[in-house]
Amino acid sequence: MAGKKLTVVISQAQGKHPVRSKLEEEVAAALLMDPQVSVSLVPHLYDMSADHTGLVFLRSLKGPFVLLGWQYPRALHWTLDRQQIRGHMGITELIEEIDDDEEAIDDQPSQAIGSTEMPNRNIYCIDLRVSSNPQEYIEEIHRIYEEENQQLVQLTFGSLTNGNGSSNGVAQNGSATNGSSSNGNSGLTFDLTQYILNPAESDTPSAKEEIAQFKATQPPIKRRWYPVIDYSRCTNCMECIDFCLFGVYGVDNLDRILVEEQDNCKKGCPACSRVCPENAIIFPGHKTPAIAGAEGEVAGLKIDLSKLFGGSDDDAVDLAIRERDAELMADGREMVGKSVGLAERHTTSSRCRGERDELDDLMDELDSLGI
Amino acid sequence: MNDASDPLIFMMGQYEAIIPQDRVYSSNHLWLKELEPDLFRVGFTSYSVRLLQDVYFLEWRVEAPTSLRLKQEIGEIESSKALSTLYSPAEGELVQFNEHLLDDPTPINTDCYGTGWLYDLRTSAIMKRPSEYVAHLDEGWEKTQNMLKGQIN
Repeated sequence: MAGKKLTVVISQAQGKHPVRSKLEEEVAAALLMDPQVSVSLVPHLYDMSADHTGLVFLRSLKGPFVLLGWQYPRALHWTLDRQQIRGHMGITELIEEIDDDEEAIDDQPSQAIGSTEMPNRNIYCIDLRVSSNPQEYIEEIHRIYEEENQQLVQLTFGSLTNGNGSSNGVAQNGSATNGSSSNGNSGLTFDLTQYILNPAESDTPSAKEEIAQFKATQPPIKRRWYPVIDYSRCTNCMECIDFCLFGVYGVDNLDRILVEEQDNCKKGCPACSRVCPENAIIFPGHKTPAIAGAEGEVAGLKIDLSKLFGGSDDDAVDLAIRERDAELMADGREMVGKSVGLAERHTTSSRCRGERDELDDLMDELDSLGI
Repeated sequence: MNDASDPLIFMMGQYEAIIPQDRVYSSNHLWLKELEPDLFRVGFTSYSVRLLQDVYFLEWRVEAPTSLRLKQEIGEIESSKALSTLYSPAEGELVQFNEHLLDDPTPINTDCYGTGWLYDLRTSAIMKRPSEYVAHLDEGWEKTQNMLKGQIN
């Protein structure tokens, strides 16, 4: 029996990176011939502006999908979240190895504020840096296909009421969660089909060449640099908004922290991420795994020679202060050192209890809204 | 014997890192060759290239010409084994990049002291003489080996 096709989206690497390009093309070519899969190719997820058609395309996907990209899965997931492309974090088995003793951290009760308006579907984010073997991605996508189709079958033969929160087909019933058009299956407008690779067009001369040509026709997009918030970790403590002096952060109408003016962010500066007590701020392009969205304290995938070539090994807060001062100076502003926006935890060891009460109120408020 | 024009050699295990005497060096393992007063061509030393090995990707985060602070982050480099952020070796003005490397960075591997140059930098900062650079390598070698081992384990 044929299940529903699984959508796979490849977010392309930045710049002209021959090794990465080749892997994208190999994976796309293999998937193109696969009857279980519909494969699309979009520009680098993080660099697309909110109105980019590649993002409009992603928003038009109502069901589960797999996203392959050149960042840690957390970074991909929360970049999508930022663009109102939401769903449960699908569990992928194709991940880099994490030290066992680091995984226990998650057992602590979380005070995180979580995402909002989450449709009931899975989004599987896979880091293309994990393996250079295309076959491993194909196999994982087949596994996910089976997993998703099993869930669909369970829904069909099981309870037909919507009470069961874990079944995945529900999202297709058209709850207009994203604010974009909600006309079900035919949601793709003419513009958006450009991202879907069509096997009919690619029988000659070779699928890989065809895909390379397809990529060459897409206009290059500008690199960007901004923080991405992981709301599964963020406690709304506001340390980032206090520390950043460039107006990047703001709050929404529920007083939730958000990245309001992303292009105010200073290219290369990850200072707010260093001062975040929950490590909830991701700069997907930063070289340090913990800042780029790695789970736990994993080692980098390659040897990092940055210290040798001039990097520093100061502690995180000192680094953040220096990075911020350098950006202030570059803007012709006064350097502030550690006199501005540093929470007490960085100077004294205990936290102010008064703030906690306010945060508790906020949590209660959110709870009462049923989010 | 010890001709002033003969390159110096620093032994990295079995590997001979060649340190030419016709230029100066920065502590972050770049060579600087004076093109005209205060204008230098900059590139990786053979010590750097040995550690990086087969570089296949190089990218700059700044656009030339631009002024640089000491240790400012200016780019990224990646090989099959390693990656690194690239930092400015001195305060100064970055005049131009070696554009050829952006399409194909292999000259970094094959000719690091010649066609594999990275950029031209205008600076009046004081750099290390070849013998001082070799002393700097000698001093840091054990620490460097430990750092590499620490990351491999």
